[in-house]
Amino acid sequence: MATVFMKWLETEPADYDRGIQVLTLGRLRRVHQAIAERYAQSESRILEIGCGTGSLAAMMARKGAHVIGVDASQAMLDQAKRRIEGEQLGDRVEFVQIDASLIGERFDPGSFDLIVSTLVFSELPPDEQEFVLQACAGLLAPGGTILLADEFVPAGWFQRLWYTLIRLPLVFVTWILTRTTTAALSHPDDLFGRTGFRPERLLTFLGGSLALYRLFPTDAAAGEGVLPATAVGRLSHKSNLRTWLADLWALFFRIIPPYPKVRPGLYAIGSPDRASPVLVTGNFDLTVRRLVQAIDGAVDAWILVADSAGINVWCAAGGGYFTAEKVIAAVKSSHLDQVVDHHALVLPQLCANGVDGWRIRREIGWGVHWGPAKAVDIPVYLANHRKKTDAMRWVRFPAKDRMEMVTVTLGFYALLILVPVAIFWRGLFWPIAISLLGLSYFYGLVMPWLPGRDGLAKSVPLTVIALTGLLVYTRLFDPMAAPHMFNWAVGLTGLSVFSAAELQGMSPRMRGEQANWGWEAMIAAGLGLIYWLGPLALGWR
Amino acid sequence: MSEPTLWESLSEHLVLARRLRGLEISLDPEACKGTWQCYEVCPVGCWTPDRVHRVVVLHDIDQCIACGACVLQCPEEAIELS
Repeated sequence: MATVFMKWLETEPADYDRGIQVLTLGRLRRVHQAIAERYAQSESRILEIGCGTGSLAAMMARKGAHVIGVDASQAMLDQAKRRIEGEQLGDRVEFVQIDASLIGERFDPGSFDLIVSTLVFSELPPDEQEFVLQACAGLLAPGGTILLADEFVPAGWFQRLWYTLIRLPLVFVTWILTRTTTAALSHPDDLFGRTGFRPERLLTFLGGSLALYRLFPTDAAAGEGVLPATAVGRLSHKSNLRTWLADLWALFFRIIPPYPKVRPGLYAIGSPDRASPVLVTGNFDLTVRRLVQAIDGAVDAWILVADSAGINVWCAAGGGYFTAEKVIAAVKSSHLDQVVDHHALVLPQLCANGVDGWRIRREIGWGVHWGPAKAVDIPVYLANHRKKTDAMRWVRFPAKDRMEMVTVTLGFYALLILVPVAIFWRGLFWPIAISLLGLSYFYGLVMPWLPGRDGLAKSVPLTVIALTGLLVYTRLFDPMAAPHMFNWAVGLTGLSVFSAAELQGMSPRMRGEQANWGWEAMIAAGLGLIYWLGPLALGWR
Repeated sequence: MSEPTLWESLSEHLVLARRLRGLEISLDPEACKGTWQCYEVCPVGCWTPDRVHRVVVLHDIDQCIACGACVLQCPEEAIELS
C-alpha cells in the first residue's frame, strides 16, 4: 500500500526499481516473476502498458516472448532501453512512448495474445480506467487475456479501516512531494464487469491491497452491462465504513425516525436478463442491504424497491405504509413490462398482511408469488422454481435475533430512562443501568421458556426470578438493611415489567405490538405508590 | 402517505395494540375453495392444506399472532379476525 510513493519515484527513473521493490516489500518482484514464468509463452505477442524501466518486459523477453512496452514517460523508457540493450534482448522488445489512453489507436485490433499492466490503473482516473480496459478488449487476439496487478482497496471492512489509517499519512507525504497521488482500485469486479471482462484473482499480497487478476473477455458483458433506461442502478453487497456505521446506528436506534431510506425504483443485482425474476421489497436501507447481502453473487435478479416510507416490509405493511398501490406504482413507473418478458412478481411473504396480492393481479395483471419470510432463503426458493418449504414460511425468533432486538429496544429506551437518571439521580445510574441491561438480555435469552403468552404475562416470572436473585444475593454476599432492600425490590420489579413488556413489540411471535403501554403506566404508578407509602406504613420514614 | 412522525407512530402502536389484543381468527369452511393463500402467507403455521378435499384446515389457532395476512389474501373472504 506504500505504492502511493510511486508518484515520487517516477520522477527518479534511475532509483525507480529499487524504490518500488522496497515500497511493496518485494512483492512486486514476485508478481513479475509469476507473470513471466506462467504466462509469457515463447513467441507470444505481449503488450505491456506502463512498462516503466522495463524490468518485467525483460523477464518476459527472456522467456522468448515478443514484447511491446508503452509508457508515458520518456525518461523511464530511456532507462528501459539501456536495460534491454544491456541484456541483448533488443530484437524481442520494442518501446513506444504514448499515453495509455491511445493504445487503441496506435495498435491493430487483435494483435496481442497477452496484455499486462502492473501498478498503472491506480494512477488513472476512473473514466480512463474503463476506457483503457475497453481498448484492451479490442487489441486482444482470440483466446487472449489481460494480466492486471495493482493496488486494491481490501474488501473486508476491518482490513479497509486499517488500510485507510495506514495509507492516509502516506498519501499526504506523497502529495507534498509530487502534488499528485494514486487512487487504489475499489470494487474492481464492477469495473471489470462493466468493461466486459470476467476476473479471476490469481494472487494477493499485503492484506489484499496488492493483487494480480487475470481478465477473460466475455462476449455477453458488453450488452449485459447496459441497464434499461428506467432502472435506477445496480446493487451489490458492500461492507465499508459507511455500511458499518449504518449497521451500528440500526443496531441501537432503528426505531427512531427518520429512517435511512433507499431511492425507490428498479435495480439490477448480478447480470439479470429479460427472464430474470423480479423481487419486490421496501425502501428501508437496512432491508435493502440485508436483501442484497443475502442474494448478491447467488442470483441474477431485478430488485423492485417500492416506497414503504423507509420502514421494514412487515411493519410497513401492518401500518398501512406498504400497500398494493405502492407496488403497482413501482411496477408502472419503472416500465417493468418493457424490462422483462414475464409477468411475475416475487413479494416478501411478510408484507402479505398489508399488500393485497389479488388487487395487484386484478389491476395490472402481474402474478404475485409470496417469497420466503427471510431473504437468505431466496436463492434456494428461486432455484426450486418458487417452491417454499414450511421452514421458509415460518418466522422463528432465535437467540441471535432476540439479542439483536433487545439491543434495538434498549438503544431507544435506555436513552429514555438512563439519560434522565444520569442527570437527576447520578448516584443511581450504575445500579439502574446494570439492572436494566442485565434483566433485558437475560429476558431475551430465556424468553421462550418463561410461562405466559405475551410480554406482560412473561414479566411475572421474570420479576419472580429477579426478586429471588436479590434475596439470594443479599443472603450470601451483601446483607443490606430492610429499607434499602425494599427500594431494590421495587426498582427490580419495575425494570422487569418494563423489559419484558417492551420487548413484546419487537417479538415477531407475539400479537398486539406494544399492547402494554397502558398496563405499564398503571404498574409504574402502583410501584410509585408502594415506594412512597410502604416505608411510611412500615414506620421507616 | 408520508413518513409518520415519532408521535404518530407511537400513538398508532397504541391504537393497533388495543384492537389486536382481543382478536380471534375464524374460518368459514363452506366458503373455502382451496387456493391456500392463507397457508402460503401465514408466518406461524396456523393453516394446513387438505389436498384431498381442496380446503384448508385451521389446525393451530393458538399460534395466531393476528397479523391479518390470511384475511387479506383470501380471495373468498372466508377468514375473519374479530
